[in-house]
Amino acid sequence: MLTAPWVCRSCVRSLRSLWIPHPRLLRRASTNGATDPTPGISPSLLERARKIAAEHGQLSVSLEANFDPKTAKRAGEISRVAAALREFEQARTGLGELQTLLTSDDAEMRELAQDDLEATKAQLADLGHNLSVALSPKHPFADMPCLIEIHPGPGGTEGRFFADTVFHMYQAYCANKGYRTRVVQYEASDSDGQKGSEGEIALQEAVLEVQEPGAYAAFRGEAGMHRVQRVPATEKSGRTHTSAVAVWVLPSFPENSGPGTASDVENPDSDFYIDPTEVRTETMRARGAGGQHVNKTESAIRLTHMPTGTTVSMQDSRSQASNRVSAWRILRSRIAAQKREAREELTRSMRSSVLSQSQITRGDKIRTYNYQQDRCTDHRSGMDVHNLPDVLAGGGSLNKIMDSVQTWLLDRDIQNVIAEEEATSASDKKGGK
Amino acid sequence: MPRLRPALFWRARRTISPLATLILPACRDLASAANELRWMREHIAATPSPMPSKMRLWFMCDQRAKGKPLQYVLGSQPFGHVDIKCRPGVLIPRPETEAYTNEMARLLLSTLPPQPSSDSPQLTSLNILDLCSGTGCIALELYAQLQPAAQSAGHALSVLGIDVSRQAVQLARENVAHNTQLNLIPGTTTATSPNNADIRFEQADIFAPDFEERLVSNNQSQTPKSWDVLISNPPYISSRGFARDTARSVRNHEPRLALTPLPSHKTTTAAAAATTTTTTTTTTTTESQQQTIFSSRLEDAFYARILALCRRLRPKRVLLEVGSMQQAARVVDMVAGGGPGLAELYPLQRAEIWRDDPRHDRPDDCRQKSVGGHEIRVRGFGEGRSVYLCRADV
Repeated sequence: MLTAPWVCRSCVRSLRSLWIPHPRLLRRASTNGATDPTPGISPSLLERARKIAAEHGQLSVSLEANFDPKTAKRAGEISRVAAALREFEQARTGLGELQTLLTSDDAEMRELAQDDLEATKAQLADLGHNLSVALSPKHPFADMPCLIEIHPGPGGTEGRFFADTVFHMYQAYCANKGYRTRVVQYEASDSDGQKGSEGEIALQEAVLEVQEPGAYAAFRGEAGMHRVQRVPATEKSGRTHTSAVAVWVLPSFPENSGPGTASDVENPDSDFYIDPTEVRTETMRARGAGGQHVNKTESAIRLTHMPTGTTVSMQDSRSQASNRVSAWRILRSRIAAQKREAREELTRSMRSSVLSQSQITRGDKIRTYNYQQDRCTDHRSGMDVHNLPDVLAGGGSLNKIMDSVQTWLLDRDIQNVIAEEEATSASDKKGGK
Repeated sequence: MPRLRPALFWRARRTISPLATLILPACRDLASAANELRWMREHIAATPSPMPSKMRLWFMCDQRAKGKPLQYVLGSQPFGHVDIKCRPGVLIPRPETEAYTNEMARLLLSTLPPQPSSDSPQLTSLNILDLCSGTGCIALELYAQLQPAAQSAGHALSVLGIDVSRQAVQLARENVAHNTQLNLIPGTTTATSPNNADIRFEQADIFAPDFEERLVSNNQSQTPKSWDVLISNPPYISSRGFARDTARSVRNHEPRLALTPLPSHKTTTAAAAATTTTTTTTTTTTESQQQTIFSSRLEDAFYARILALCRRLRPKRVLLEVGSMQQAARVVDMVAGGGPGLAELYPLQRAEIWRDDPRHDRPDDCRQKSVGGHEIRVRGFGEGRSVYLCRADV
């Protein structure tokens, strides 16, 4: 069987202009990439937008009569949709006028209309997209800062080295973007003292907090398995290894949050609420003579959430009090993510099967870093970038990939909304009959 | 101390740093060596100095290798909400102390009387006495936790720390300034922010015959102070225990004065007993007020003295750190045998023994302890760490 030989990149590039590849050689697998944006908007979505706009009109009328904070909040939420719909409708009437002009007798007029038509059509497609975006629900944690947890996949030290690389990549990316970060945990495995080829350490677990509001939305596409293909520093015979690093992105609850929000820790309905009686606290101290007899610095703390078996250990700071605070924060974030995942699982099973394929879970491989080919591929958006050092330095290439993932996520959200809308209208029809 | 395997040193060198081999004999295991090294690095990064940082690190590791406690090497120890400066000559704050101080603060916050009516000019006061205060950690932590609540509820909070060592009192005063500067505790009364809270440290010998008079006469300006809390972490290790049970770094680097009572303390107690009673037995007194509690063991000398002070000062709550469950039982026994005055003042039904971590109960630990026919409630898990007494009328 023929395997693809290694081809110099510049040669490939020069060949590309000469021949059109056979369709079979085109890369199609492993990318369930973005579907091309349909011009305009699906009719069911438009229907929904009209309903919402009508509701917005009613609300604003009632608000003028007497102010009610609850109504005002709802009106603010849906005003985005109403505004987008208004623009869309305007553009559509404009298009209609142009089309009538096309049939006019004046040749000059027809020419002008023809010129404008293309631009207006493009504008309409844009506005339709905007409207879909406005209709897609905002992620409940989108405005929050986030915690990026990096765990090496099962396997040898190669995965651990790469975990360190990934950690530094995100750190550098945040530095480039000007996000404030804090290293919550950075633990090397003490199994051996080797260093990777670029001086990486074997990472056990690392947690990076990005303190920027909205960081969760920016990084939520990063969650998943990151695969690396390279010849490890430890490899003697030069074989390429494949290993994986799991990245979890969890919302980090802000230290002082207002009551009633999803991030309120005291509110039992919130995802971040944990019943303190369900958590076992252990200060990992050996029993025996203590007090004045010994002066060891024992600040390590371990929290176990008993219903789920989630444990968090923390020994970063010399102060037990601050270790306790950070351990609680991590535990809250993990539990909140678990709760949200469970809820998403539930809604996913209720929706049609088309939607569930693209749901992110920890198990899916989302991105590949291939050192030999100097390539980084995102498997969801289908984006290929050929400047791996820049990606790993958190530069513009990484930004490009992350942007493509954001677009993909947004498109997926829109698809979800359309499917949901169609499902409800179908059930309405059934009910009508 | 068991010998460390040479392989461990090689691993420390390989996995952590060559400096880790230096401090490994003092730290005893890889994880804590790695942690301590990291904390030293963080400390160096946080405190600028003209000395090159590599040299500073080596110097610190060298000191640590000689067994000097990390808290003395770094010069500080976080304690609950506050940061305590540490210096050779003054005992380092312990995590167990932090745990029970925290619990005491929680207890006081939950029982803080509600806000007095705004028209009454009389401020209710909350007076805390910390005997053998050392670095002042207990006093500062209680002050840091109680001050905001006391301020908002309109109580005057006053914390007084007493220690016999001049060095300790000086360090405690430095700690007040240090934590005020770090904004960890609210500053005491200044012109800009009127504050009805106060924290002071004074040098005094609690065994001095005129100590009670001094304490009472100290606030002549007011009516005799009613103490709400008496809290103390006195020396409680026996000479034998000091030689056998203490860690080497404690024995070689921490002040013995803060760990074991001196023989003179016992004789002072005994002398006081002799002057007030005709015989040394404690049961044949005419007035219970004059009676002195007698301890047969040297390591309990401070408890005898403090309980005698309690009878005079009548603090509402008393919390005394002890070394073990046996010692806790002996202290409870002293309260029971301290004559009708003391046992009536602090009924044993309300006395408690707190373990290392008083907040968290473990099912496998015993919740009751029988002392001389009384069942005493035991809280938390770990080794018996402190004795809590509560006045009958509170």
